[in-house]
Amino acid sequence: MRILLAEDDALLGDGLRAGLRQLGFQVDWVRDGEAAERELRAQPYTAAVLDLGLPRKDGLAVLAAIRQDHIATPVLVLTARDTVPERIRGLDTGADDYVVKPVDLHELAARLRALVRRAHGQPQECLTAQDVVLDPASRTVRQADVVVPLSTREFDLLQAFMLSAGRVLSREQLEQQLYSWGQEVDSNAIEVHIHNLRRKLGSQLIHTVRGVGYMLQRETPVA
Amino acid sequence: MTPASHSLQRRLLMLVLGVVASVWLATAVMTWFDARHELDELLDGHLAQAAAILVLQQGQELGDDNHGQGVDAPSLHRYAPKVAFQVFHEGRLAMRSANAPQQPMAGANKHFKAGFETVQIGGAAWRVFSAYGSENDVQVYVGEETHSRANILWAVLRSTLLPMAVALPLLALALWWAIHRSVAPIRLLGLTLARRRPDALDPLSLDGTPAEMAPMVDALNGLFQRIASLLESERRFTADASHELRTPIAAIRAQAQVALGETDEASRRQALHNTLEGCDRAIHLVDQLLTLSRLEASAVPVMAELDLSALVRQVVADVAPKAIGKGQSLELDAAEPVTMSGNMILLAVLVRNLVDNAVRYSPRAARIRVAVQHSNGQVTLRVEDSGPGLPEADRKRLGERFFRVPGTDEVGSGLGWSIARRIASVHHMTLQVDRSAELGGLAVLVNVTAQGAGRGN
Repeated sequence: MRILLAEDDALLGDGLRAGLRQLGFQVDWVRDGEAAERELRAQPYTAAVLDLGLPRKDGLAVLAAIRQDHIATPVLVLTARDTVPERIRGLDTGADDYVVKPVDLHELAARLRALVRRAHGQPQECLTAQDVVLDPASRTVRQADVVVPLSTREFDLLQAFMLSAGRVLSREQLEQQLYSWGQEVDSNAIEVHIHNLRRKLGSQLIHTVRGVGYMLQRETPVA
Repeated sequence: MTPASHSLQRRLLMLVLGVVASVWLATAVMTWFDARHELDELLDGHLAQAAAILVLQQGQELGDDNHGQGVDAPSLHRYAPKVAFQVFHEGRLAMRSANAPQQPMAGANKHFKAGFETVQIGGAAWRVFSAYGSENDVQVYVGEETHSRANILWAVLRSTLLPMAVALPLLALALWWAIHRSVAPIRLLGLTLARRRPDALDPLSLDGTPAEMAPMVDALNGLFQRIASLLESERRFTADASHELRTPIAAIRAQAQVALGETDEASRRQALHNTLEGCDRAIHLVDQLLTLSRLEASAVPVMAELDLSALVRQVVADVAPKAIGKGQSLELDAAEPVTMSGNMILLAVLVRNLVDNAVRYSPRAARIRVAVQHSNGQVTLRVEDSGPGLPEADRKRLGERFFRVPGTDEVGSGLGWSIARRIASVHHMTLQVDRSAELGGLAVLVNVTAQGAGRGN
C-alpha cells in the first residue's frame, strides 16, 4: 500500500516513514501543505496521513481542497490539536480518521489498513478471492489454508489486485501503487511479479487483458 | 449580587423633595416675617389714629360733669372686645371702653411714656399706644390684644402652607414617575448585564442609550473586546503549545518504535540517535517555555551595572563553535566597554537568542556580524547576517509565540523571539528587524535608551 505522509517536523516525519515502512507500507513524505495537495492530485495513493499544522498551506485547507475536487483518497489526520471541536471540524472537512499525537506506529498502521478496507467496501480485515486469503495485518497469504510465502512486492501487488478485485488495472496504476519515490522500477517488473504470483497461486486468479492491463477475478471461474 | 444599598431613584427623589420642601418652608418663613411686619405697621397705625381721635374728642367733649365716674363706650364689632381704650384726666379715669381695666393699661403707675408698648393685662398680651391729650393732664391709652394679630398672621401662613401640604405628596408621585422614567436606561443596562451569560463577550447594544451613558457602554464594549482578543490569543497559544509539545514527543515515540522494530543494525542506531535528538529538542523547548513563563510572570528583574560589550563577547564565544561547524564566519565588533543597567542573565539570553538565530537560519559559509555601537548616549546592539533574510510579512509575525519561519529545515522552538521581545521590553529596549544593507540578510537592532547606558571608563 502506498501512503502519502504530510508532516513538517523532520524527526517525526522520518520516524513515521521508517516505522510505516517496517510495517509494509510504501511511504512518500512531503513537508508542507502545498506539496501534499500537489501529490494527492497527481497520484492515486492508497491513503494519506496528514498533519494539520503544515507550513504554506494548513492541513485542513488541503483536505477541503482535494475533497472539493472529488479526490476520495482516504485521509487520516494526525495532529496535536485534540479538542472536540477541532476533531469534529477535521472529520467534517473530509478526514476519514482523526488521531492525536503521539501515536503508536502499530495503531497507526492498523487504522490505515482499516481506512483502506472501508474505502474499498471490505467489511473484514482479511481480503479473499477464490480460495486465496490475504491478511494485511500479519502480511500472510493462505491458499486453501496453506501459507504461501510471498516476497514484499508480490504481497503488495496481490493486495492491490484484491482491493480492486474485478477491475482491470493498468501497469502504470500498479506501479504507482507499489513503488514510492526514489525506487527504481524495471520496465518489466510488474510482469515478473505477476508471473511469480501465477506460479505460486495458479493461473486462474489473475487474468491478462491485452493492451489494457490485468484483472483479479474474485470468484472461481465455472469450469 | 450585592444588595443595592443606595437606590439612585430613591436618592434622587429624596433630594429633590427635600430641596423643594426646604425652599417652600423658607418662603413661608419669609412670608410670615414680612406679613407680621406689615400687619404691625398697619395696626399700630390704626391704634395711633384711634388715640388721635380720642385726644381730639376729649378736647372738645370731655366736660367737668363727667368727672370721677368715667364713661363706658359701647362694643360695636365682634373684634371690639379685643380692642380697648382709656382716657385719664388729671390722673383720674375719664372714659374707657367696657373691656378696659381701671388702671392705666401702660406705664403701670410709673412715669407716663408716650408711644407703643406691649404689656400683660389679665393674662393676655396687649399692644398699647399711649398719648397725651391736648393738655398734658390728659392721657389716652388705646390697646389691642396681640392674640388677634397672631390670628391674622396664622391665616396668612395657612394660605401658604396648606397648598404645599397638599401638593407635596402629589409632587412626590410626579417626581417618582419622572425619575423612574429617567433612570430606565440604567436599569435596562443592569438587567441586560445580569441576563448575559457570564462568558458572553459580544458587544452590548442598547436602544436609546442616553448621551451620559454612552461612554460607559463604550468602555464596557471596549473591555469585552479586549478580553475576547486576550482569550483568543490564549486559546491559540494553548493550541500551538499542544502542537509544539506533542510533536517532539510523537517523534521520540516513533523513532524509539522504529529502533525496536529495526533489524538492520545501522538503521537501528540511526533511529536511536534520532530518539536522542528528539529528547534534546524537547528539553530545549521546555527550557524556552519555562524562560518565557517566568518572564511573563515575574515583576521587574534585579538590575545592575554591567558591561554590554563583555557580555556580548561571552555569548559570541559560546555560539562560535556552532558557526565554525557550519563553516560560517562570525565576527564581533565590541572593542570599547559599554556600561548599562540591566539583568545579566536575561540580557545574555536575549543576545544568545539573536546570535543563535543568525547562525541557525543562515546557510553554510554565511557571514554573521555582531556589533555593539555607542554614539550620543545611544547604545545599539546589531546582529547581521548574509542569510536569506525575511519577507516583510514574516518579519511582522516574528515574536508570535510558536511562529516559525516557513520553509526552514532548522528545528527551533518558535519561542526565541517572544523571549527576546519580552526581555527587551523589561529593559526598555526596542527591537528592530530590518534588511542588512551590508550583508544582505537579516539585521536585528537592539536600541538601549540613553538613561540605561553610558560609556565605560
